[in-house]
Amino acid sequence: MSWQDEIDEIKQRRDLAKQQGGEEGVAKHHAKGRQTIRERIGGLLDANSFDETGEGSGVPEYDEAGKLVDFQPANFVLGFGKIAGRKVIVGGEDFTVKGGSPNPAGLRKSVYAEQLALQYKLPLIRLHEGGGGSVGGTGQEKNHRPLGDPVFATSRFVPLAQTLGAVPVATAALGPVAGLPAARLVASHFSVMTENAAVLIAGPQVVKRALGHDLTKEQLGGPAVHLKSGAIDNLAVDEADALAQIKRFLSFVPDNAWMRPASLAPEDQIDRCEDSLATIVPKNRRQPFQMRKIIDAVVDKHMQGSSFFEMSRKYGPSLITGLARMNGHSVGVIGNDCMYYAGAMTAAAAQKLRRFVDFCNSFHLPIISFVDEPGFMIGLDSEAAGTIRHGTAAISAVLQSRVPWASVQVQKAFGVAAQAHFGPDGYVLVWPSAASGALPVEGGVAVAFAREIAAAADPAARQKELEDMLAATQSPFPRAEGFSVHEIIDPRETRPKLINWLDAALAAQTDAPGPYMTTMRP
Amino acid sequence: MVHENFGMGWRMSVDVKTEVAGQVWKIVAQIGDQLAADDVILILESMKMEIPITAPKPGKLAKLHVIEQDIVGEEQLIATLEAE
Repeated sequence: MSWQDEIDEIKQRRDLAKQQGGEEGVAKHHAKGRQTIRERIGGLLDANSFDETGEGSGVPEYDEAGKLVDFQPANFVLGFGKIAGRKVIVGGEDFTVKGGSPNPAGLRKSVYAEQLALQYKLPLIRLHEGGGGSVGGTGQEKNHRPLGDPVFATSRFVPLAQTLGAVPVATAALGPVAGLPAARLVASHFSVMTENAAVLIAGPQVVKRALGHDLTKEQLGGPAVHLKSGAIDNLAVDEADALAQIKRFLSFVPDNAWMRPASLAPEDQIDRCEDSLATIVPKNRRQPFQMRKIIDAVVDKHMQGSSFFEMSRKYGPSLITGLARMNGHSVGVIGNDCMYYAGAMTAAAAQKLRRFVDFCNSFHLPIISFVDEPGFMIGLDSEAAGTIRHGTAAISAVLQSRVPWASVQVQKAFGVAAQAHFGPDGYVLVWPSAASGALPVEGGVAVAFAREIAAAADPAARQKELEDMLAATQSPFPRAEGFSVHEIIDPRETRPKLINWLDAALAAQTDAPGPYMTTMRP
Repeated sequence: MVHENFGMGWRMSVDVKTEVAGQVWKIVAQIGDQLAADDVILILESMKMEIPITAPKPGKLAKLHVIEQDIVGEEQLIATLEAE
């Protein structure tokens, strides 16, 4: 007696499961320029490291003799794997089976992805392509079983919410993603979408019927919409780029909230002082400069370029957020982009900042802030967007932050919004180009001295005189004299100064790391 | 980006849009100028700053859709380049 027949059937089932939606379905998928979920997982993970979970789940089909003839696999593929030698959980919808709309086993496996990541405290990567439930249901109803989940069952959204505080979650939209998968897509710390992906709450037909708007999938939820809406962080030129960006993101974060990020062997010199920093900020404050060039000059170099990995560039673009390395240590980087409304804090920029600061705190990433803040964005659009509430919430997030924080004041730090760039017990360096105060001279003088200017013989000359006088009081030298900043520095010294600070700040972290909790915010 | 006939065969027409609202302060390039990527086409005044609108890729400046002093909004079409 042997179990050979059963062993053969296990093999047969596995082979059938690997056929996914069948030859035709896979060919159709490839014709659209898309990879199957198994190809994607293969491209993401270290070679031969995929250890699948629930490979045998699905719906078998038998002939009259009771012999297995076909097997529709669960259309969510899930398992353990390795990226650069680190263990991760990876999963994604199989679009070739029912367009990724969950079949019963697929739904169970997809919901289990978060539980696995929570249980084993491992980073979670979800590669999404598929729809949500269909009006016709999942097919489970035909089996005369009780409908729905038991009333006492834990909602599948509980682990979805919990993962963000426990393990890094990175997701990709690699085709149309709608309904539940779209919600899972954005429940992440980093998300990326390809050019041909679309992220939708509901598709074109539903929108047309409900609202009368005739829009394509791409018009409704393509990259042009969702990189700006903030729903998705980054654009990828193709699937390989999307997977590469996920790997890059993961390289900066620890496996979970109970660990600190790994420090790598430095690829760059500590005392590299770039001459460009001495001249990059124009003396004429009306002329903008490229904050990204400053960031790239200060953080570690990486291969041919910079270690700076920008996230959410198109969303709230007056604020730059990203990850980088400083002497091999992983850090979060913030900067104002004065090319966009002088770097003013819009409602979107404030929400982006709050999310980023919470993320850095969740995974113990020190923050380096390059400051050029003119204040909250003004005007009717800004008022109508509730900028004051979002901005105040961002300030609260910054001032409740617990990670080491350094601020380099490159130029402006004005108004209430300036507070959003200086964390508690922070290390504060200022450049000679720095200017601080309640209001930028350019707008403030005309308001504060309106009567005096109007009464002057030559109002324009008087305004200029007052502006020059006040500009002098905004100089960084008196602030250094009064020790209201740690140091006024030659901009070229920024990198060595920050690295010395970071070494001390990291060495002082003697508490065991753990999850980050926050209070209610405005 | 669309393909348009400029009377000299089909070439690629590149829309140049502004990311920010503001006022056209100074037009720097002239129609017919051959621009390199990042060359300045015009300068907007936005939030008291001079924000350059630059060529996204190399090409000849075919059309300007604004004149000095015009108020422009986010995503407004500013210029059209004619690229190879």
